[in-house]
Amino acid sequence: MAADSASGLEAAKGASKDSSSTGLPILQAQALGMRFAAPEGQISLFENLDFSINAGDSLAILGTSGSGKSTLLGLLAGLDLPSTGTVVMDSHDLNTLNEDERAVLRAGRVGFVFQAFHLLPGLTALENVMLPAELAGDSAARNKAAEALGRVGLSDRLLHYPAQLSGGEQQRVALARAFISEPQILFADEPTGNLDHKTGDQIIDLLFALNRDHNTTLIVVTHDQAVASRCARVRYLRNGVLTAEAG
Amino acid sequence: MLALRLLYRDWRGGELRLLALAVVIAVAAVTGVSWLADRVAGATEARAADLLAADHAVEYPEPIPSDWQAQAREQGLKTALTAVFPTVVVTESANRLISAKAVSDRYPLRGTLRVQPELGAAEEIPATIPKPGHAWIESRLFGLLDIEIGESLTLGAKKFTVSAVLSFEPDRGQGFGSLAPRVMLNHADLNATELLGPGSRVRHKLLLAGSQTDVLAYTDALAAEHGNAIEIETPSEQGRGAAEVIDQAKRFLGLAALLTVIVAGVAVLLTVRHYAERQITGVAVMRAMGATRQKVLSLFVGKLLWLALFAGGLGALLGYGLHLAMLALVADLLGTELPAAGWQPLATGWLTAGAALLGFALPTLVRLRDAPPMRVLREDLGSGLLRGGMPLLVAAVVIFALMGWQAGDIRVTLSVFAAVSGTLALLAAVAASVVYGARAWSRHYGQARLLWLTGFTRRPVTAVIQIVAVGVGLMSLFLLAVVRNDLLSAWQAEIPPDAPNQFLINIQSDEVAGVRRTLDDAGVDTTFYPMVRARMTELDREPVNAEDYDSAQARRLARREFNLSWTDTLASDNTIVAGDFWSDVDNPPPQLSVETEFAEEIGVGMGDQLTFTSGGSSVTAEVTSLREVRWESFNVNFFVLASPGTFDALPRTWLTSFYLPEQDTHVLNDLIRAYPSVTPIDVTSVLRIVRTIIDQGSRVVELMALLTLAAGVLVLLAALQITGEQRRFESALLRALGARGARIRAMARLEFWLIGAIAGALAGLAATAAGMVIAEVLFNLDYPFRPLTLVIGAGVGLVTVWAAGGLGARRYYRASPMRLLREG
Repeated sequence: MAADSASGLEAAKGASKDSSSTGLPILQAQALGMRFAAPEGQISLFENLDFSINAGDSLAILGTSGSGKSTLLGLLAGLDLPSTGTVVMDSHDLNTLNEDERAVLRAGRVGFVFQAFHLLPGLTALENVMLPAELAGDSAARNKAAEALGRVGLSDRLLHYPAQLSGGEQQRVALARAFISEPQILFADEPTGNLDHKTGDQIIDLLFALNRDHNTTLIVVTHDQAVASRCARVRYLRNGVLTAEAG
Repeated sequence: MLALRLLYRDWRGGELRLLALAVVIAVAAVTGVSWLADRVAGATEARAADLLAADHAVEYPEPIPSDWQAQAREQGLKTALTAVFPTVVVTESANRLISAKAVSDRYPLRGTLRVQPELGAAEEIPATIPKPGHAWIESRLFGLLDIEIGESLTLGAKKFTVSAVLSFEPDRGQGFGSLAPRVMLNHADLNATELLGPGSRVRHKLLLAGSQTDVLAYTDALAAEHGNAIEIETPSEQGRGAAEVIDQAKRFLGLAALLTVIVAGVAVLLTVRHYAERQITGVAVMRAMGATRQKVLSLFVGKLLWLALFAGGLGALLGYGLHLAMLALVADLLGTELPAAGWQPLATGWLTAGAALLGFALPTLVRLRDAPPMRVLREDLGSGLLRGGMPLLVAAVVIFALMGWQAGDIRVTLSVFAAVSGTLALLAAVAASVVYGARAWSRHYGQARLLWLTGFTRRPVTAVIQIVAVGVGLMSLFLLAVVRNDLLSAWQAEIPPDAPNQFLINIQSDEVAGVRRTLDDAGVDTTFYPMVRARMTELDREPVNAEDYDSAQARRLARREFNLSWTDTLASDNTIVAGDFWSDVDNPPPQLSVETEFAEEIGVGMGDQLTFTSGGSSVTAEVTSLREVRWESFNVNFFVLASPGTFDALPRTWLTSFYLPEQDTHVLNDLIRAYPSVTPIDVTSVLRIVRTIIDQGSRVVELMALLTLAAGVLVLLAALQITGEQRRFESALLRALGARGARIRAMARLEFWLIGAIAGALAGLAATAAGMVIAEVLFNLDYPFRPLTLVIGAGVGLVTVWAAGGLGARRYYRASPMRLLREG
């Protein structure tokens, strides 16, 4: 049940505020469906979702808790494979790639910001930000990380551990970590979910500023209408259906 | 290098400290033993030629004929003579059993002598041997004889002036026989002592040195001419017996060290599981960022290899210190210079560290590569990632492989593996029944009790692991410290108070009447036994070749002269187990009765014809009975007894044994003055020496047991770390519900007390049971069950666990309830 057609998104793209959009889809989903085995039998989270998003676009997927929006984000990012349908990222059909090949595809191309921040507790802010660059074998990881932390206003917190930082500061470290490898696509899962309203606003400002600076494609799942409204496009996931309408 | 950086970050975060400590302790145990064994074995090998003081030596039961020496010199060989015999040295105020050694010019042909001009002076290499009329004596004799340089002592019929302290002789030999202090004299003085009667226990040797071809040509010719009468010693022959003993000790200590490795392995398994659980999310984040499974695996393998490098190095350093401590403990027994420590044990240390980490830790960490990247979005994913018994199975295989490596023999490996697993399983079964029993009992005993027992019974599996780990460490310690002492005491208690404490040997036939009279006058009742010293030269008319035997003991028996006797009545401590003894037969024909263990050792059975040779004469007789002997009676007994008349053709001496109260030792002094060639052996001092050897040897093993206990404490701490979050939460919750800090600490204390007391009591019980089995099976001793060992065990366990656990868990109960709740 494709409530949101590819053409719909393509049409919406025309209204993109991002002038640097290339006009080529960087991510496409076709007939996407996800089912889970449960004690009472197979449960379908969603079925037949179709859409695509061009490079440089920003899309918010709004939905209530348990609507399956995080699972959808995971499928789009290639963290998991769908029960049915395909995801094509940067011309690669994710279904044809195994877990490691998808990881290679993600490396340097995809960044994440999580609700729970997911900073490694034993690492300083600097080391957390360095990690993706280090994994990619970048010898300038330290300098880049320091620079990235400077951009999120944490130059004076480089050697602090996550436990010594506030929630907002931790999410800023996570933003710096997400942008250090200059990803083409950034996936954000409830980026303000664990933050108070004011701090959440600051984080969103930062997220969109960075997005603009790096010309990144942004996909945000959230239940927060205010966050969603900052994106070029907003879609609602409700009862397994993706619609353009809030109703 | 990324792995190293990640390892450093883990270390800084305190994640891997217990893991590293467990590896350090395991490596220290293995390398300590390795260094000890290498250096002692190295000393033996390096000194093999020195041990002979020659390239080859020819031993002969008679004084070396002078033409042998002349012939050897004609063939371009260097020669020297030695004669070694036990005797008594007499001074004005004291006398002492010593080992005398007469040496001729040019001795030693290989290696060097070292002497000190005065006690405490610097050692020097003497230019000559002792001048005629002079003697060099070992330092401890100065005190024992109350004598100084320049004073005189008497050996048999000759007086000697003590002119130097003998600090080192290359061919001193090792083992029990060489423990008597040495007096060295000039070979030219030998006859003047009048100590060398026929049949006396003298080892005459002709030392030879020269090119290998010349030496072999000479010894082959001599062997062809004199056959079995001579014995040719080579350096490898000298080294082999010692090497075999060292090899056995090395294997035993190696397996003892493995016990530490196993317990440390449990600590590794526990800490790595805890560590891996905390890594799952981190790995999921890395995978979401694009790290492949291969990358994740190589990072963790890299971390482990770096950790093995550091912990292995540190452990080896500790092991080096440990081996120095062990060497200090057995310094008296070694008494020789050791070669410098080599590097090989360091490699052994790294291998052990690598095996421990890859074997115990990697199977758990390997699973992290499968951490689902979706976990970054859904925390519940991947929580069952570490379940399953594969790491335990791999650990068991690694332990088995390590045991095989140390034991070098599949049968020994299998039995040690079975014994260790059996002991662990038994300890675990008893511990589990106690813990689960307490759990069931506390449920029926009301709310207050339930609360009191909560820590102990709510985590029964952890409690059982802690009890077994600490219990194994304590058990090996108790077995060595308590049970060994008890066994020695039980053994000494079995010796009757009037058991013979003095032996007189080397009594010539014409001295028997006189010696008997002297003893009779002193009120000592004695029996005299005839004794022939002979070598077994043929078995069923085939020459006996020492090389045909596998065991060192059998080779020694086949090569050496040993003591034979004859009698017409069987002593009460002898039992015939096969054939018939000749006591009921008048004038029995020549025949032999052989002690069972000896018969087994050299492969002799009923009906075999044995030929004995002494002083150029031979006698052959048939074995008609086998005997069991109760050696612990301390009476005079022989491996081979003959019917009267069988050995008439062989030269004989006599011996006797008797109990002499301490205040009557003057009787012995009178005897020795009157019959200088008679050699007394004081059994009490022999027992003292045996006890010293056992004490020193077991202190080395005690060090190993202490390491095992340390590893056990690590397991305790590892288990505390795992339950730390739970304890933090329980403590916060109880405080929030109104419990005072004192009450929470009391609950933790009770838990440690219970774990420690049960572990200690179990260890005491297991050590006592092992002691009882050892006493019954190996020594045939009565070893009573001692409840006190259990009580002591419980006390020691309680204090150990309380101290270690209290320190380890303190932080979980210290933080404020607000902070605890906020941290979740």
